[in-house]
Amino acid sequence: MKKTININLGGHPITIDEDAFEVLDQYLARIDNYFAQSEGREEIVHDIETRIAELFLKEMKGQHIVSVKEVQQVIEIMGVPEDFGGDRANTKSDFEGESKDDSYRRESRGSQPHRTTKRLFRDPSDKVIGGVASGLAAYLGIQDPVWMRIIFVLLFFTTGVGLLVYIIMWIIVPKAKTASDRLAMRGAPINVESIAHNVEEEVNEFGEKVRKFGRDMKSKYGSKKS
Amino acid sequence: MLYIWGMKIENTKAQMRKGLLELCVMSIISKKEAYPSDILDELKEAHLIVVEGTLYPLLSRLKNAGFLSYEWQESQSGPPRKYYHLTPEGEKFVRELTGAWENLKQSVEQTIPIYEKDN
Repeated sequence: MKKTININLGGHPITIDEDAFEVLDQYLARIDNYFAQSEGREEIVHDIETRIAELFLKEMKGQHIVSVKEVQQVIEIMGVPEDFGGDRANTKSDFEGESKDDSYRRESRGSQPHRTTKRLFRDPSDKVIGGVASGLAAYLGIQDPVWMRIIFVLLFFTTGVGLLVYIIMWIIVPKAKTASDRLAMRGAPINVESIAHNVEEEVNEFGEKVRKFGRDMKSKYGSKKS
Repeated sequence: MLYIWGMKIENTKAQMRKGLLELCVMSIISKKEAYPSDILDELKEAHLIVVEGTLYPLLSRLKNAGFLSYEWQESQSGPPRKYYHLTPEGEKFVRELTGAWENLKQSVEQTIPIYEKDN
């Protein structure tokens, strides 16, 4: 089950699921950011939005809801702003031969800050009770959350506060709900590629879980019968 | 090694296309007023553009320089569309660029050995 969002994309009404929206939103923000200093920025972004909407409609013939797959396809067709040929549509001076500040631009572009701040979340995809330990492990950069769990258990038996700390954290630490939450949890840069990668990973994981569940049920059911 | 070579050749090709894209876009518009998606179709058919996003800043730049202008036209499917046409200045610009391209083509062909045999 996924939430869908209705958006107005360059004048076209589009229905898109939540994860796909996030990927698209990041992509458009990246374009907007890239042309931030350009004269025709709003127009460029709007026209690109219109084109993206057209591509969506062409691909799906008004039937489905736009998913991450379609967004990725469209991004591939449109390209990332860095591939637009260094054409930032700025000023007239661009017309008078090669612009001198090309290298400067490249540099400033490279250092554009992507949000990389780590945040503490509970990890619902890897939980024993509430995902507190796995979220904390991700926050502290510990590979295996089992160590965090051992610490909690030890704290409980030695001082008795383990359980209390856990319950408090369970209440106050938010659950990582969206793709960007999960990236912030690990401190991974939040951009189009990482979100798309994350979503893809999740889809695979989900498939694996379903298969595992199927196997479990089978063996359970089978053993009861015999 | 091969990978690096591949990147280099792609880069050089992209530079070649980039220089001529302006002329090609304006030539397409000079034939008939055009909607960006139609321009893209023609450019893609001619393998002159790789990622579609390239076109939009280019159009914006040419418009700001006074070579292009557009008007809104109603569309049966979806919102009104921008149709671009050349301004008189733009037409002059295209003529000059076309002449420059002719000269450049000749000069290049003079230097490349495979063309020398034909002449």
